[in-house]
Amino acid sequence: MDGFLDLLSLPAVQRSAIGLLIAAVGLPIVGVFIIGLDIIAVRFAMMHVALLGIAVGLLAGLDPMLCGLAACALAGAGVAPLARRPTGLPGAMGLLMTFAIAAALLVLSVSGVNATGAFELLWGSILATREIDLIVLGALTVVVHVLFWRWRRQLALLLFDREVALCSGVAAGPLLLALLVVVAVAIGASIRLTGALLVDALTILPALGARNLGRSLRSMVLWAVALGVVGNTAGFAVALLIDQPPGPVLVLVAGTLTLLTYLIPEGARDAIDPGRRADRGGDPVPAGQRVWQR
Amino acid sequence: MTAAITFTTVTCRYGRRTAVDAVDLDVAAGEHVALTGANGSGKTTLLRAALGLHPTTGGTVTVGGESARSGVEWARRRRDVAWVPQRLAPGRFPLLVDELLDSGGHPDAAREAAGQLDVGGLGHRPLHTLSGGQLQRVFLARALGAVTAGARALFADEPTAALDFDGQEQVATLLAKLPVTVIVVSHDRAMTRACDRVAEMAAGKLRVI
Ligand SMILES: Nc1ncnc2c1ncn2[C@@H]1O[C@H](COP(=O)(O)OP(=O)(O)OP(=O)(O)O)[C@@H](O)[C@H]1O
Ligand SMILES: [Mg+2]
Repeated sequence: MDGFLDLLSLPAVQRSAIGLLIAAVGLPIVGVFIIGLDIIAVRFAMMHVALLGIAVGLLAGLDPMLCGLAACALAGAGVAPLARRPTGLPGAMGLLMTFAIAAALLVLSVSGVNATGAFELLWGSILATREIDLIVLGALTVVVHVLFWRWRRQLALLLFDREVALCSGVAAGPLLLALLVVVAVAIGASIRLTGALLVDALTILPALGARNLGRSLRSMVLWAVALGVVGNTAGFAVALLIDQPPGPVLVLVAGTLTLLTYLIPEGARDAIDPGRRADRGGDPVPAGQRVWQR
Repeated sequence: MTAAITFTTVTCRYGRRTAVDAVDLDVAAGEHVALTGANGSGKTTLLRAALGLHPTTGGTVTVGGESARSGVEWARRRRDVAWVPQRLAPGRFPLLVDELLDSGGHPDAAREAAGQLDVGGLGHRPLHTLSGGQLQRVFLARALGAVTAGARALFADEPTAALDFDGQEQVATLLAKLPVTVIVVSHDRAMTRACDRVAEMAAGKLRVI
């Protein structure tokens, strides 16, 4: 226990704890978007797209990480048109992943850039969090929350069914484009900030758990953030207590939490729904406006 | 407010198969037209094309004299025409009944209509937990909300296919009273009888009876 408190008094550990907390408030929402769009392959795809961007950056003498993020944004935007087909997005993500791996390897080989060096630039660690990383994570979290809370009705319709969204006045094309760019950049940036393994604990795992618990986009987002915060705080504490690397410990703790959500029977979801309200029928419509009763 | 609808040589293809073949149809403002015809004759495709949900390879559809080309114009078309789809999306992702009702543009009207269609108490249920007939009633209530919100026409694609006998009659009477232009795809006699005119499709072509 003393060791635990000693560790917690280190500024580096404090910074990583704060970083993790910020990420746990924002990234689970990205995870819900990923599950909603059915693009779990996006993590591997963006890892290699970012690597490709980094390689190009090194080759051109530009800031490699910025190039990596720009590549993610472009790739996210690039797959948006494929969403018109029912199976377009999941397939496109898989394809993108394969293409990006090949292209990254080729660029690295042709340019003579050291592949391990490029990988190291990409793979961050939560324990190496700098102040600037906290700012980036904070900004990312704000963007994700603004996107969700400002457009949650439209997002719920879009993720439910594209045509229903179109017929409800949702600008499905631009909204999907924004969603994919935000998801792609968030994944790319968080690989750099937290490490590839932790991205799963922060995005996919809480979202998978939330899918089991929530009954609407809103309740799923609330559940995902709750699971993300609890799972990652607990995981980090356990890692410090047993003095082991946080990445795997966090994933195991968050994963166990997710696994537990599978035990909750379908029928019990209603009772635990954070978005639950008493049913209200809506205010009476003046008889003159009741078009179906003239 | 109600709008005349004009289909002029509308043609739609899926690859090389022609699903809608040079269809001409004039529907007067406020008129109710029943669209019938064999399975696969192109009824759904025709209505979806008028909403910009399926591309046309030729011809135009105007609503209230306005055609649609740009994204903005299609958005206005979809506000102008309330839509009850044939294949009701159970959805890839959960959506609550209330969220769907509200999306028609007039939440209060849609919820009241839902109450009258006997699906009033389901607001907080995700759509994928409803029965087929309940889902159809919710989509109908949403469309009535859209009409209250200002849509000038209603396209309903087999809106009673999943309903019980009482429901079929109830919806037929209810649609008959709507003060907007209605095109309803139906094989149901109560429904076709309640319309001003019946048009029949066969192998992509249309003939008015
Ligand atoms: N997505 C698709 N891809 C290829 N062909 C299609 C597709 N959807 C419909 N078709 C074909 O287009 C033709 C017209 O279909 P449509 O759905 O418009 O018929 P319908 O008159 O609405 O039939 P139903 O009474 O069964 O609803 C059919 O031959 C059908 O097989
Ligand atoms: Mg049909």
